Amino acid sequence: MQTANLVLEVENIDVYHGDIQALWQVSLQVGDGELVSLIGANGAGKTTLVETIAGLLSPASGTIRFQGVRLDLEPAHKVVERGICLIPEDKGIFRGMSVMENLELGAFTPQSRKAKEETFKLVYGLFPILETRKAQIAGTLSGGEQQMLAIGRALMSKPKLLMCDEPSLGLAPLVVKNIFKVIQQINQSGVGVLLVEQNVRAALGLANTAYVIENGRVAGHGLAKNLLDDERVINAYLGTA
Amino acid sequence: MVSQLLAQTIVNGINVGAIYGLAAVGLSLTFGVMKILNIAHGEFLMLGGYVAFWLLTLWGLDPFWCLPLVAVALFVIGAISYKLLFAGIARFHEEIRVKNSLLIGFGLFLVFPQIARLLWTGDIRAITPSYSGTSFPFLSVHVGYVPLGGLLISVTSILAVHLFLTRTYWGKAVRGTSENWKAAKLMGINVDRTYFLMFSLGSALAGLAGVLVGLTQAVSPDVGMEWTLKALIVVVLAGIGSVGGAFLSGLILGVLEAIGAIFMGPYAVALGLVIFLLILMLRPQGLFGKA
Repeated sequence: MQTANLVLEVENIDVYHGDIQALWQVSLQVGDGELVSLIGANGAGKTTLVETIAGLLSPASGTIRFQGVRLDLEPAHKVVERGICLIPEDKGIFRGMSVMENLELGAFTPQSRKAKEETFKLVYGLFPILETRKAQIAGTLSGGEQQMLAIGRALMSKPKLLMCDEPSLGLAPLVVKNIFKVIQQINQSGVGVLLVEQNVRAALGLANTAYVIENGRVAGHGLAKNLLDDERVINAYLGTA
Repeated sequence: MVSQLLAQTIVNGINVGAIYGLAAVGLSLTFGVMKILNIAHGEFLMLGGYVAFWLLTLWGLDPFWCLPLVAVALFVIGAISYKLLFAGIARFHEEIRVKNSLLIGFGLFLVFPQIARLLWTGDIRAITPSYSGTSFPFLSVHVGYVPLGGLLISVTSILAVHLFLTRTYWGKAVRGTSENWKAAKLMGINVDRTYFLMFSLGSALAGLAGVLVGLTQAVSPDVGMEWTLKALIVVVLAGIGSVGGAFLSGLILGVLEAIGAIFMGPYAVALGLVIFLLILMLRPQGLFGKA
């Protein structure tokens, strides 16, 4: 285990929704600049896991460390300041505000606000459509554009680790391809990515390593390309074609 | 003669309506941003009126100059009330939060008037600086200095709130929080602190409105509910989330009531409640709110 390179370390966390336990002794690691996929069926606990890392939920036991600093006791807005940004499943767009205002709020943390102008250029470079639509009210964008806005807004916070919860949800195949390409680009620029995906084949194709979550437990993990050949994964998620 | 009466009535209506607008903006902010319906809003307004009354009678401070002091005082009172009472319900789901905020507000509605009675007795008090009651002729109508000052204060305060919400980073964070608090947290916005500041700001705005009420009408310990109702009517008329809309709706209500008073006498007060019902039936999102 090369601890020096590890950016995110989740160790044996238990998470509850009220009285119901959603995660059981989950451990996960994301290395520096790595792209890790989180796969599993609906309701397996993938969203719960990323929301816990983001600080929206707090684990009943276990620890979460980011660059060696404990995060599990921090509120969500502090987690963002440390450099972790979550794009939630519903995208979390501020629908009544303009595209520009959405992006501005992405750079709310003090350190990202200082670099705002530069990051704006970077985001507009990745998604030129956002620049042409910057005065438009975000709720009137198409689904694909909203996903681009969500990614762009997350980049505005200058994350070291970006967590994407089901970025392909409800989007046309061509748009999905484009979104995945951008996520790969972001990763290649040195940002760690934790990708939650139902589209298992695509998720494993992009990732270095992957974790399979089943019923709130880690059912397996390993190199993504090995999981693609794993018989259990093929039977459960890829179908026997 | 008739046109002169009408013009004077409209001017008077605008003066009262501006206070309605100012009283409503604070209520609209707390309800719009944090889904807390503070039915003790009028009580905060009442306290603001009494603070200005004290500052004038004890220290001879001009009510217009002491507006910032009143705003600060009510900001603090609002902050304490929020921390002690409302903060505990902020973590609940929106529907439960609204219901519980009604209960807390009702409690304050019972407690604050009693405190006011202890401190200032039950007498009706008006804030009367030396120049109150004076006016100047303008075209065919008389414009009072005090109501004109009140109008300017209302417009300035509401414009300031509007600019804060649309132009500053903090204001945008407030709007973001009101749209989607979960996403706001993920942007690094401290949602708890935003709630705390907005409630306190709402209370400060109520305090400012209270000074204007004391100047143009009068305050008594039990004046609060009347103003909560007015503010609520204006908020419903305007729709949630529109600061400028709340001000315009305040003016509309003020002018309608003033004109109504010519024909209906004291029953004009019922006009507001009729508008309240009509808006809820025909245009529940309000005149300026989004569907």
